[in-house]
This record gives sequence, structure tokens and C-alpha cells, in this order.
Amino acid sequence: MTEDEIRLAVPASPEFVRLARLTAAGLANRVGFTYDEVEDLRIAVGEACSHLIGTGGRAGSVSLVFRLGANEVRIEAKASGAAGPSDGDTADPAMSAQILDAVVDEFHLARGAVFLRKRRADGVRAS
Amino acid sequence: MSLDDAERQVLRAKFKEYGRTGERSVRDELIEAHLRLAEHLARRFSNRGVALDDLVQVASLGLVKAVERFDPDRGLEFSTFATPTIVGELKRPFRDKGWSVRVPRRVQELHVEINTLVGELTQRLGRSPTIAELAGMASTSEEEVLEAMEAAQAYRSASIDAPTGGGDDDTRGLAAQLGDEDVNLFEAENRLLIADLLTTLPKREQLMLRLRFFEGMTQSQIADRLGISQMHVSRLLAKSLGQLRDRVEHADG
Repeated sequence: MTEDEIRLAVPASPEFVRLARLTAAGLANRVGFTYDEVEDLRIAVGEACSHLIGTGGRAGSVSLVFRLGANEVRIEAKASGAAGPSDGDTADPAMSAQILDAVVDEFHLARGAVFLRKRRADGVRAS
Repeated sequence: MSLDDAERQVLRAKFKEYGRTGERSVRDELIEAHLRLAEHLARRFSNRGVALDDLVQVASLGLVKAVERFDPDRGLEFSTFATPTIVGELKRPFRDKGWSVRVPRRVQELHVEINTLVGELTQRLGRSPTIAELAGMASTSEEEVLEAMEAAQAYRSASIDAPTGGGDDDTRGLAAQLGDEDVNLFEAENRLLIADLLTTLPKREQLMLRLRFFEGMTQSQIADRLGISQMHVSRLLAKSLGQLRDRVEHADG
């Protein structure tokens, strides 16, 4: 089957993280994620955005590409403009890694880019 | 508002009486007589994501203040005097929240309801419910459920030291109500055993326990950090501790 691809670009500011998380939740629901799995993906997207934006926001934008598989969501988030947040203003990357590790199946955390992959657990049919 | 001269005279006399006596029943009469002004102003602030009911309540609060402060001898019309006070109150919710999204009360209520339903359904089904199942139980749409989940984040825009305003006597800040740090569960000797068993738990549960007991974060700090509701953190922690307890008993046995 062909994969659906959804793109979202938002200003690199904390107030738009909610939109990214809400989008992720909506798409996770399409793939049939459970409540816990939706929460996990929301946490992951929020964490990815914080990593790219920093706590106070910055100039430029963050672009997210969501790819919907039969039972998984893959997300590529990239900071455009300046390469990632300024050094003094970045969320703790070790903590971010710890959090991402707990909520998604696969992730890659780089300066200015984050990759996330989360699969739906078996046992629950897609709605 | 469209008061005729006779009504104005009556109200003027009432204001003077209230200024003289401070009688509560007179004050209440004056407030009721001007409720339409509060409603009128509240309507001007609708369509900004705050329910009209909430706005009218806020405006009424401003009206109460205006009635209490109004001095009829200064020669101002009450509506002229009250409008800036009421508008000031109406602007406050938008100002206090900064950029944070105002959550309509309907969504707030749904947020609370869903938190309860998640607990019930998880228990009954033996797994996490789907969004469709939650929407069905709450008789609402899946989109609304997702929106209510995201509302967890807007909740925490309240200042930790701001009064939470429960009952009349409850004027302590949120910080004072959070309580002391829980008793440290892990004594040094048990730490190694626990740390070992911890790695056998699912990762999400591990994270909750790490943040709570190793990083020493409170439940609300964890909720804050992860952008989920404190109730969800509490539920995950309870689940994690339960699993850990099972494993400890096995290890001892």
C-alpha cells in the first residue's frame, strides 16, 4: 500500500509545539494507536520540538514530515534557518534521549534534526 | 444601558445608601441592576476561545468591584465608571495566560472525564483503550478526545504560586498544596536490587520511576516536562510501582 505523507511547518516557537503534538495525535489515531500510544507519540513530538526549538524559541521554523504506515508512524523533524537552538538554550539532550527511548521504538537525535518511529502494538485492531 | 431617568434616580439613591451603610443586600441589588452591562461587555470578548459563560462570570466579578468602589458624588455615570473596570477583568485571563492556549470549559470538563474513563477502560479491557473507544464512552468525537488530551498542557500555565481558589478558606498557592517530597522509597541497600529490576520493566515505566525517584522530580514536574496530565503521570507511576513490587516479591521469593 502507498504511505500517506503529511507535512507541517511551524515557526520555531514554543506556542506552536501544541499544534505539532495535536497533529501527531490525530495521525496516530488514524493508524489506530491506543490512548497510551497516542500519549507516547505526543510526548515524543513535544520532546523533538523542544530539542529543535529550545525552551525560549528562536528565529526560523521547524518542518515535520509524518509518514503513516499500516501500523506505524514515522516522523522527521528538522529545524530550518539557524542550525538548532543556541547552545545556552537547548533542552538537556541526555534527558531528551532518555525520554524518547521510553516512548518510541526508534529515534535518532541530531543537532537540528530528529527522527522518530513508533509502531502500534498488536492485539488492538485499527479503529 | 437603556435606563430611563426615573430608574437612574432610584439607582443613584441606592448607591448613596450603599456608600453610607455598606449594606450587602443593597450592594446585591445594584449588581443585579447592572448585570446587563457585564453581559454586554463580555460579549465583546467572545470568539477568542473562551466560552461566553466564563466571560460573563469574569465580567460580573468586575461589576462587583465597580459597584463597591463607585462614588455617586463624583458625578460620573455608573456605566462610565464601571466599563474600564469590567474590561480590565475581561482582559486578565488573556493576559495571565501569556501565549498559552485558553481552554474552553467544555474541553476542560472532557479532559477530566477522559482521565477517569482511561482508568476504568484500561482496567476493564486489560489494555490501553483506543481513542474511538474513549470517544464512544464519552459520547463525543475522536477529535474532541484528542483535543482534550492536549488540554493537559494548557492546564499548567497556571502559576505554581497563584491561589487555586477552591473553597473560601483555600487561598494557599498551588505550591503549598503540592505537599512534601514523598518518603524516599529506596534505601541504599535496596537501590542495587531495584536498579537491576528496573531494567526488566517496559521502558515507559522505567522512565517514570527514574524521573520520579532518581531525578527526584515531583509528579507535576514530570507532567510538566512531558506535556501530559498529572493524572496520567500518577497512573503510570502506580502501574510502574505495581510491576516493580511484583518483581521484588519474585526476587525475594
